[in-house]
Amino acid sequence: MTHKERFFATIANQPVDRPASWLGLPVPSAVTELLRYFQVNSVDELKIKLDDDIYPIEVPYNFPPSNHIACAFKFAKMAHDDKPDERTLTAPGFFEDIDDPVLVDSFPWPDPALYLDVEESRRLVKAANKDYIRMGVMWSAHFQDACAAFGMEKALMVMLMNPEMFQAVIDRITDFYLKANEIFYEATKGYLDAVLIGNDFGSQCGLMVDPDSLRTYVFPGTKKLIDQAKSYGLKVIHHSCGSIYPIIQDLIDLGVDSIHPIQALAQDMDAPTLKTGFTGKASFCGGVDAQHLLVNGTPEQVTAKVKELKQLFPTGLIISPSHEAILPDIPPANIEAMFNAIN
Amino acid sequence: MNSELLEKLSECVEFGKINLASPYPPQMKGQPGADEITKEALESGVTPTEILNDALITAMNKVGQKFTENKIFVPQMLLSAKAMGASMVHLKPFFANGSVQRKGVFILGTVFGDLHDIGKNLFGMMVEGAGWEVIDLGIDVKTEKFLEAVQQHPTAVVGISALLTTTMVNMKPVIDAIKAASPSTKVIVGGAPLSADFAATIGADGYGKNPQEGIVWLDKISA
Ligand code: B12
Repeated sequence: MTHKERFFATIANQPVDRPASWLGLPVPSAVTELLRYFQVNSVDELKIKLDDDIYPIEVPYNFPPSNHIACAFKFAKMAHDDKPDERTLTAPGFFEDIDDPVLVDSFPWPDPALYLDVEESRRLVKAANKDYIRMGVMWSAHFQDACAAFGMEKALMVMLMNPEMFQAVIDRITDFYLKANEIFYEATKGYLDAVLIGNDFGSQCGLMVDPDSLRTYVFPGTKKLIDQAKSYGLKVIHHSCGSIYPIIQDLIDLGVDSIHPIQALAQDMDAPTLKTGFTGKASFCGGVDAQHLLVNGTPEQVTAKVKELKQLFPTGLIISPSHEAILPDIPPANIEAMFNAIN
Repeated sequence: MNSELLEKLSECVEFGKINLASPYPPQMKGQPGADEITKEALESGVTPTEILNDALITAMNKVGQKFTENKIFVPQMLLSAKAMGASMVHLKPFFANGSVQRKGVFILGTVFGDLHDIGKNLFGMMVEGAGWEVIDLGIDVKTEKFLEAVQQHPTAVVGISALLTTTMVNMKPVIDAIKAASPSTKVIVGGAPLSADFAATIGADGYGKNPQEGIVWLDKISA
């Protein structure tokens, strides 16, 4: 099968020659060791060597210093590093003391058209090998940004005490992403196959927010983002770390094609439990534990786990680490074992 | 009368009713909250110790239990902590003049290299709700900062949080340094990738998978 055929069959729960795979996004501090170990010059070369199926394309967003769309809103009232990983979420945010929804306009909402680089979007997507699944890494984390807009603790309390205010802010954020994504989808039309969007809803032991509140305040925005992607014919991979079992059916109903990253050690997120609950109803992406196995396990243990995953999910699971960020504590030999076992 | 007020207060904290003005929870709209009831209780002769032990601690205990069982989630827990805080404000003078004793001082921080603080903050609130004075050192806390805090509060217990496999390994040097400077200081650790086994191998005295486990351990060592 080609990369594309394999990906589409995996998410449609149809037979595959082998499950589709995704390496994830190694963080810069992990890249050097990976390149040295696999004797390649770039992550692109590494992916070819591993026969990976998905090629991620980050949205080019010229908004220094981060130049990252995940840092488009400057809500935090304190200085912090302007990088996606260092989003504070919890620091007091612009809307901390604002409780009138009318005042939602007092924030200088950015216009994505000013920063999203249309030419570069087109160039990046055209440069990607068309045999791969070209996946736009959109994130569009409207819930997490709404947390940052107030400061997370405040935001979650506002959600229950002053829902109109929370709604006004999260709607604005959603609108921003809808506009940004439209620009990107238009620029890449005909060259993009899938997108990755999402928010973290889970912690290790359960959801952070109750399912009803998510359904009321968060999923309507998720639905718009999914419908928009679908209107461009794109497959939607939805990311949420942590234990999210109670909302998996919601994500399926919202139209998600594949649920990522299946944090294997989080409560109820192990492959057997997911198989029992969702065989044939959903597809997943992830599942190879990055909290213990990939970090501390031996290549033999990784091989055994991937084989077990393949047996449980002969299709319906894109095999990938249970967090897209490959950190430097994962020995490259374990990545090698993972891909050898997939192939 | 007094027990009725304590019960009402306990209910406010359990369900996150902060004060009269607060619209949450909907079923308690228009009713006085933790703020007003604490004032009323103190005025009618309920002792601050009774308020702390028989209303706040009992309520927060129930909250911790429900959170562990995934019956309530972070937003509800925050509102309970907020209601507790609204009551606690009225107890501050009694803490300051020594007429109410807390269980001890708890120093808490996220280990260096790690920026995750949602779980640490929640645990801190629960520990406060269990009757401890909490000193929160924040995120990305270097060994020296923990040591300084221990020096200032020699009888304190220390809690360290880590959410990443790449930073949980930073906990051992912090614990080693604390134990070298102050061998009797007890340390408890927690956070997503940890386990009781890991906690034992790095020399921690305790481990909490969730706030409730942490508090049970704290109660045990302070008994
Ligand atoms: C929210 C989140 C973030 C937010 C953090 C915002 C903030 N202000 O905290 C942001 C987006 C910034 C973030 C960043 C990153 N994250 Co993060 N994040 C999470 C997530 C989804 C939830 C954590 C959380 O807040 N849970 C809610 C609280 C209530 O639960 P908790 O923290 O577990 O705490 C509870 C218990 O553990 C316990 N507890 C906690 N501390 C203590 C302390 C003591 C003493 C005790 C007794 C108990 C205790 O009580 C708490 C209440 O129940 C987890 C997923 C997960 N499984 O946990 C990933 C996760 C921790 N992150 C992960 C990663 C990889 C990262 C990044 C490296 C991402 C990247 N490069 O792309 C960066 C690292 C930044 C840094 N240097 O720290 C991975 C770690 C994998 C690994 N190898 O360990 C996880 C596990 C996700 C995954 N799919 O694997 N993250």
